[in-house]
Amino acid sequence: MEMNIFGYKCKKCGTVHYPFRTICKKCGHTIFADKAEGYELVPLSKKGKLLTWTRLRSLPGDFEVPELLLGIVQLDDGNRVTGQLDIASPKTGMKVDGEVRIVRRDGYNEYKGMVFESA
Amino acid sequence: MREVYCVGIGITSFTRLEYPLAEIAAYPGMMALKDSGLSKVDHVYVANMGGGKVNHQTGLASAVVDQLSLAPAGAETIENGPASGASAVKQGFMAVASGMCDTVMVIGAERMREVNDLESTEFVATLTHPHAEYIYGVTLPSLAGMFARLYMDKYGATPRHLGMVAVKNHDHAMDNFFAHLHERITLEGIIDSPEASTNNPIVADPLRFYDCCPVSDGAACVILASGDAAKKTGKPRVRLAGVGQATDTLAVHDRKDPTDLLAARGAAANAFKMAGLKPSQVDVAELHDAFTILEIAESEEVGFFKKGEGHLALEKGETRLGGSLPINPSGGLKAKGHPVGATGVGQAHEIVLQLRGEAEKRQVKGAKVGFTCNFGGFGNNVVCLAFKKEG
Repeated sequence: MEMNIFGYKCKKCGTVHYPFRTICKKCGHTIFADKAEGYELVPLSKKGKLLTWTRLRSLPGDFEVPELLLGIVQLDDGNRVTGQLDIASPKTGMKVDGEVRIVRRDGYNEYKGMVFESA
Repeated sequence: MREVYCVGIGITSFTRLEYPLAEIAAYPGMMALKDSGLSKVDHVYVANMGGGKVNHQTGLASAVVDQLSLAPAGAETIENGPASGASAVKQGFMAVASGMCDTVMVIGAERMREVNDLESTEFVATLTHPHAEYIYGVTLPSLAGMFARLYMDKYGATPRHLGMVAVKNHDHAMDNFFAHLHERITLEGIIDSPEASTNNPIVADPLRFYDCCPVSDGAACVILASGDAAKKTGKPRVRLAGVGQATDTLAVHDRKDPTDLLAARGAAANAFKMAGLKPSQVDVAELHDAFTILEIAESEEVGFFKKGEGHLALEKGETRLGGSLPINPSGGLKAKGHPVGATGVGQAHEIVLQLRGEAEKRQVKGAKVGFTCNFGGFGNNVVCLAFKKEG
């Protein structure tokens, strides 16, 4: 089954929020009121352009790898996400394709998120 | 609102301190009481970010007020990430300005070196967005790295400019007894020579080791008083003239232009407005250079230089001691150190010292107006303070 990262679309003004916020930044609508009236879940696009990135070599304790590539991606649908990069030498502005994978393990817990490869 | 004056200051070395957190916090409080000549205060605010997570101690203010035998004075612990310090100064300012208190002690304290590097990085990373950033392994250095890349591409700053901030602030710290790093560095050693990549390895590309502040323990204190109470102490008239705060989105990717630090811009504008001052009137500033790129970006956002020109002013030496606007004469977070909750109070300590004319070798001559910027999270909660010498 294909997995997605979802944005929260305000039912009043259509602004997509990612991550979630309780009150719409644009129109003040109370998104959190209830799902029927407040927001609609929309899958975020997985294609986009790499806005900026970093090669992190000082990692939090959970990561048993020598380095981690992280980036902010400008998605084709206009939204933006932070994610991991599975790209040997990233370049700002390059086209990327995303996939939802396990991004962090902490004991028995697994966390899923967006990982981008070069398109 | 009543006018608020800084009547007493104290500080510990910012370094690794092998004392319990409450004692680290109490020490500068004791020094500040001595400095002001006061023996009691109405209220104590203690800024601390990691006591609960790193040191297994919550409600730090209660421990500190008891350490200092100041009970039954009111006491509160203030947590606002790395801006906890200036936030506590803000609370103290409000208490005195409102007339509720005549004298208030503001302490900032942190003991991060109780745990190892991995754990302290992890602790600070809890500031990031839990689902949209933290799970990916995003830390503060990685946000600063992504910010630096965008900023440098847009405005033409280079790794050499970042290096210049580090060299300048390490030079400044040589004259600060309380600074964490007393280590003179050169552009040759950290950028130009063949050994530079070993001396100065990547932390979060394009940021390298010498672009990042050390992990420090330490504490600082400022005692605030009303005009009448300040007169009785006979201390130099340093007024806390303006306090400003502003916030921005939690996730960095959520900002319209991620190279804008809108919270820093807003906080500075609010502080200048309250003080009735302009950025051009500032003689000395302490900015939040947890990463070298931030000193450059903040120097623009708070209004000292035009957007995109901070690195040019740096290049000309304007921000060095002896320049037209010395920034971080204490060594800044980069070299003085960054005990997260203590930093904002440490910045205020430096400015009071400068405006009193007591900064010795690193004194900015004739300084009358000082300014601090304490940057919380990655720019999502910023507190700025403006100080003015009177008389």
